[in-house]
Amino acid sequence: MRRVFTIAQTEFLALVRTKFFIIGIVAMPVLMGGLFAFMGYAGKQVDHKDRTFAVVDRTGALFEPVEAAALANNAEVAATGASTGPKVFPTRIDPGAKTDEELTVELSDRVRKEEIFAFVLLPAELMDPDSKLPILYYSQNTSYERLSDWLRTTLRDAIQEVRFSRAGVDRTLVSKLSARADFSTFSLVEKRADGTVSAAREVDEIEQFGIPFFFLILMFMAVMTTAQHLINTIIEEKMSKISEVLLGSVTPFQLMAGKLLGIVSVSFLLSFVYLGGGVYALLQMGRPDLINPVLVGWFLLFLVCAALMFGSVFQALSSACSDLKDAQSMLQPAMMILIASYVVSVLVIRAPDSTMATVLSMIPMVAPFAMMIRLTMPPGPPMWEVLLGLSILAASTVVVVWAAGRIFRVGLLMQGKPPNLPELLRWVRR
Amino acid sequence: MTPAIAIRSVRKQFGAYLAVNDLTLDVPEGSIYGFIGPNGSGKTTTIRMVMNIILPDAGDIRVLGQPVTSSSRDDIGYLPEERGLYKKMQVRRLLRYYGQLKGRSIADLDPVIKHWLDRLRLTEWADKRIDQLSKGMAQKVQFISAIVAQPKLLILDEPFSGLDPVNAESLRDAVFELRRSGTTVVFSTHDMSTAEKMCDRIFMIFRGNKVLDGSLDEIQAQYGHDTVRVRTTGGAAILQGLAGVESVNDHGNVQDVRLAGDPQAFLRQLIEKTSVQQFEITKPSLHDVFVRIARPTADEMREPEVA
Repeated sequence: MRRVFTIAQTEFLALVRTKFFIIGIVAMPVLMGGLFAFMGYAGKQVDHKDRTFAVVDRTGALFEPVEAAALANNAEVAATGASTGPKVFPTRIDPGAKTDEELTVELSDRVRKEEIFAFVLLPAELMDPDSKLPILYYSQNTSYERLSDWLRTTLRDAIQEVRFSRAGVDRTLVSKLSARADFSTFSLVEKRADGTVSAAREVDEIEQFGIPFFFLILMFMAVMTTAQHLINTIIEEKMSKISEVLLGSVTPFQLMAGKLLGIVSVSFLLSFVYLGGGVYALLQMGRPDLINPVLVGWFLLFLVCAALMFGSVFQALSSACSDLKDAQSMLQPAMMILIASYVVSVLVIRAPDSTMATVLSMIPMVAPFAMMIRLTMPPGPPMWEVLLGLSILAASTVVVVWAAGRIFRVGLLMQGKPPNLPELLRWVRR
Repeated sequence: MTPAIAIRSVRKQFGAYLAVNDLTLDVPEGSIYGFIGPNGSGKTTTIRMVMNIILPDAGDIRVLGQPVTSSSRDDIGYLPEERGLYKKMQVRRLLRYYGQLKGRSIADLDPVIKHWLDRLRLTEWADKRIDQLSKGMAQKVQFISAIVAQPKLLILDEPFSGLDPVNAESLRDAVFELRRSGTTVVFSTHDMSTAEKMCDRIFMIFRGNKVLDGSLDEIQAQYGHDTVRVRTTGGAAILQGLAGVESVNDHGNVQDVRLAGDPQAFLRQLIEKTSVQQFEITKPSLHDVFVRIARPTADEMREPEVA
């Protein structure tokens, strides 16, 4: 048993030191965080510039409201220190007898000369509620949306205002009457033992999608991170005859057990780091109520099974190959099963209590993902279903690890062409 | 005295291929035993069975007086043919790891590691990674990895191949040092002169069968004093068609001639044809014996080695 730990420790250290793992566990969150921070920073930086734009108003009623809104906006920007957006400066262009085409050509030139940033054409028909003509906005920099967004809301409001007043309708009354009723989602209330009723909690997006996705992705990552490492080391050991040295000292069973223990520990380490991060994030968001130690317990149970099952399959299949290329094609089906299990489980989030979700969470390969999602979504599956799913998973894991052990034993000393499926099955039976 | 390795009527078949056929062999304790034989003749299979990496189909193998189990292997050091090292691991960590897998503690291992790194002039490389080492250094590290647990029996598969003379010499000295301290050493080699010089006894396996087993003297006696070494003005060409010549091993300036008949009669023929500078009746070298046994099947020898 001590040797199993020695192997596990060596595997663990080897994996934890790989660039892949270091990037996955440390650099990824840092990079992501850094990217978000940069985007936030950059988003604010761009907006300091004043934006001058031309307005061709054929309605004759819209330039004034736009000008008024621009003044209000500029006053607010000045007050808040440019954190809300740019200052905007509309200039009126008198269309005279020119056609739209002549105007767009002329104004496009002015944009190119950087006299103005953009221009907007307002057809006279805009005031007609039956007309479907749009507001026409032209800019060299169409991906810059601050100005177009501002114009869209400002002009829409102004057009509505004019239409209402021309129809003789009081706009404030309309908006009061057409106000929508709010709709809030709550979880169920419970009657406690002491007779009081627990307050119904409002369910938000973090609870509804954030937590299930977090566990789903973490489960997948924890299994995937170790897979590539397992394949690489086993092929290296085979190619450089290390496996022969190892088998001269330990049994194939000890070797495999040590490796599995090593990767399960790495999966746990990775999970703890991310779970810790998750808890920290929830505390930052002021949602400590969503921290659920029971869920973490279930997660670790399912993770052990998933890591052992997929790990032993990857191990057995790579032990049967003599180089990385063979291993890649050999392992493709197993990888596909892992990825498919992950993908179909996303469906479970939409309908955690459907028959499909129940069936999926009983299938051994899918259970770690599907059942985990169902557990995260209140009210959760009935306990007997969880235990049944876990038992099926655990039993299959034992069978898979056993079969993988048989293949591993034969495969490690094989050289040359990788075996096909019937041959693999023969190794298991032998 | 119990033999270090006792193999009794062992048989191993891979599919239809008979790798080892009814092999019986004793390796006495404290000896240096050479395993020779062409590629694919069953050397590696035999060694793997001794190591309990694969199991014989029939027969019995005892190592150090016990049936081989995984725990008895803790006293066996094993060096497979070439490589066998993690490229990314540091030398010291690797040696510790291999020793720990034999059940030794780091405290026991470190002095041994230090001794051998010093002895083979690798101390300054102890904290370097294997892939930073030259091939010769890696081979020495590999050798240390086989003896780091201080085995009573050391099995080396082709330990000297590809080493420069200096490194080969230091490994040979190391093997002798181990033997003096009581270790039994078994090694396989294709280099017949190394086997002749180093081994107390030699075992040859050919197509799964034992064809030679004994000391060099015994083997040479078995194959007779029928080889002469000649140096003549006429060289190898003159030897063609002389009566009694069975085969010629041409070394350029000298030729080893295997005779079917009387050496004196051969010498008389030779003097008539050319001037003789050297004529020596020798024992057949191990090389000659090996070639004599293995030659008829040179074509079959090209088959790849079966695991």
